Amino acid sequence: MSAHDLSKLGAGFSDAALGSQSVFRAALQSLSHPGRVIALPHDAQAPSRGHAASAALLLALLDPDCTLWLSPSLADSDAAAWLRFHTGCVLVDAPNQAQFAWVAQGDECPPLERFAHGSDAYPDQSATCVLDVAALIEGGAAGWTLRGPGIKDCTRIEVAGLPRAGAPAFIAQWAANHAGFPRGIDLFLAAPQQIVGLPRTTRIEELGT
Amino acid sequence: MFHAFDTEPAGRPLDRAQWMATLARAPLDLLEPALGAHAQCTPHWLRPPETGLVMVQGRAGGTGQRFNVGEVTVTRCALRLGGTDARGDTASAVGVAYVLGRSHRHAQLAALADALLQDPERQELLNTQLLVPVRHHLALQRARRHARAQSSKVEFFTVAREAGVADEEEGNE
Repeated sequence: MSAHDLSKLGAGFSDAALGSQSVFRAALQSLSHPGRVIALPHDAQAPSRGHAASAALLLALLDPDCTLWLSPSLADSDAAAWLRFHTGCVLVDAPNQAQFAWVAQGDECPPLERFAHGSDAYPDQSATCVLDVAALIEGGAAGWTLRGPGIKDCTRIEVAGLPRAGAPAFIAQWAANHAGFPRGIDLFLAAPQQIVGLPRTTRIEELGT
Repeated sequence: MFHAFDTEPAGRPLDRAQWMATLARAPLDLLEPALGAHAQCTPHWLRPPETGLVMVQGRAGGTGQRFNVGEVTVTRCALRLGGTDARGDTASAVGVAYVLGRSHRHAQLAALADALLQDPERQELLNTQLLVPVRHHLALQRARRHARAQSSKVEFFTVAREAGVADEEEGNE
């Protein structure tokens, strides 16, 4: 889809201010309560590839000053043109140049250390990643135990459909990301209509370890 | 580069950039009646009208270094005809307008006309009903402004000097 072909483009929020505020509220909720599955109500016509929740989340967060990296299948789809049109964000080719990243379900996620981690003086200059997964089940029997700020004792979550490398690889990368505090990326896991926030302060333990 | 968007595209097929430029300068009282019933229906917004500032750049004499002339107020919008689904194959044309000033109605009607003009069946009719009168209006406006400026035109003459002196000076140069 070319950047100038608008004929297949979906609309954004019907009310830009209220729509993005309610999504932003949900994003704040999910980051302040890591591991809680938060519904993301919105009325945007999301692109055909990628989850609607991630599309709405990025639609609310991005602006023309932001750089965005898209996983290959998203970059080839109408999602790129949709976000460019509605937010004016800048698309970049290299994950380490991006302030935001969106990885579609089924695409390979670059190792987390390839994203911008910020510096000790400016830990805010790190990337925020949105990772599409098949399903998010709060309190699932088989799953992860999360600990950290915003969680009383611990909370459980089951994540289905992580990128190809799988859960053990992801947990190892996440441990390295957590160890670099205050540097590190923040992550949103997105199901089709819900999100879960994983700020860099959260620790993941696989159940039974 | 300078494009003369006011001139009629003689013999050439209608160009989208050309009609968008014409529509952006069309007065509202020509747009409203020409679009008729289309002007009354509720549009399906991709981007509702929004007003902002655009920095205009120019070149002295059209050739010199680029410099910022100043900011102008621009209203833009994008809409879809009919309001079909984003993924439907029947997705109809999308009209876009960038219009000087703050008139949301003007931007909406210009985008609507842009979308309608992309339909080859409607193009001919709209061209005669809308674009031709607008071009005529713009040409008239231009002629009127030109005439007004001409009335205050000052011709500068150099008074010819005595023939002998002039020859002497010319010889020295």
